[in-house]
Amino acid sequence: MGLEKFKASLATHDLIQDLKWSPELREEFAANEAAVLDRYPLRKDERRAIETRNFLALYDLGLHPYLGGQFARLIFGNEAGKGATVAVNKLVESLQGKGSVA
Amino acid sequence: MAEIVYAAGAPHAPGLIGLLEAAPADVKDVVINTYRSLADAMASAKADVLIVFANDHLANSRVRTYPDFLIGMAAEHRGPYEWFKPWIGCEDYTVKGSPEVAAALFDGMTKRGIRMFAQTENLKFDDNISVPVLLTNVAGSGIPMVPVLQNCTVPPIPDQRRCYEVGKALGDFIRDDLPADMRVALLGSGGLSHEPGGARYYFIDEEFDRWFLDLVASGDHERLLDELTLEKMEAAGSGGTAELLAWVVVLGAIGSKPGKSFGYTVHKDFKCGVGGVLWDMSPNMPKSRAA
Repeated sequence: MGLEKFKASLATHDLIQDLKWSPELREEFAANEAAVLDRYPLRKDERRAIETRNFLALYDLGLHPYLGGQFARLIFGNEAGKGATVAVNKLVESLQGKGSVA
Repeated sequence: MAEIVYAAGAPHAPGLIGLLEAAPADVKDVVINTYRSLADAMASAKADVLIVFANDHLANSRVRTYPDFLIGMAAEHRGPYEWFKPWIGCEDYTVKGSPEVAAALFDGMTKRGIRMFAQTENLKFDDNISVPVLLTNVAGSGIPMVPVLQNCTVPPIPDQRRCYEVGKALGDFIRDDLPADMRVALLGSGGLSHEPGGARYYFIDEEFDRWFLDLVASGDHERLLDELTLEKMEAAGSGGTAELLAWVVVLGAIGSKPGKSFGYTVHKDFKCGVGGVLWDMSPNMPKSRAA
């Protein structure tokens, strides 16, 4: 799975960039994810894919894989050798066919 | 005319810092030997400024407004950016910048028809700049740095021929625009094969990596430009391997020269092939470049 499905205008790209750049937004996302998602012009299937941690569906919609990897770390953990490893494994599990890894 | 006194390419996988201690001894040996050799050569070169080209990794700009090249003009470069700290597992660093060289680079590339962008605020650095800065002791050496973060992953990606053209313009800029006695070091930061965020996240293409290291060390740039296509790099790890385009910029600047590698290693936890190359910048080397 490469860049062939990449859709530059996908709103999820902005969500991930904002989460990466703002500790306050990460806190809010952890406490009240729906309120954060409400502020982005997400398609219904796009929002559903985020809520169910379905990276495979997000990639099919056009999510850039590099930001997909970061989104997995934002959700499952970002620490070298620990949470980041969990995040990588969850992401790969989703992309290799499982879909939702909520 | 200013002179390029150092040119190298090296990976920046975050695991090279955060996961190195737990790596097998033979892997550690290659990593430590590679970066120590590059650091020693950089110190010996006595450069006045280091220009680093590296994949931006979507760290600084939105997809909707994504620059192909972004120059860091800050007087001081601090890193890593907050969110990347636990992931890389490295100490904070501060490297002296060179606003004058950065501004001259921006003007010089614009004048030569190369669209770059430049930012006076501190750029957000992840492993792209942090790993080489720490492993080659840039922070400790006191050498001023000008980082140039490039687009290696957001389509449409400037391909190997475009990056080589950018490198040629960079070489012309260094020789013709910078002060006559200035000594310049160049580093291409990125690679080798890896697929960050992809379904093959743990995939490392050893055959590609060994082919690439041999090719860039050979100095055969005609073959490099014919064969190092985006398609080939994507096949060797989508969204990651193409950051070898940062090496291609350096090669365009220095022209055809032989290089030496310090070994190659693979380690699953790094999720990236590892090997570096130092090119021979001794003044008696012939100067020729691919068309």
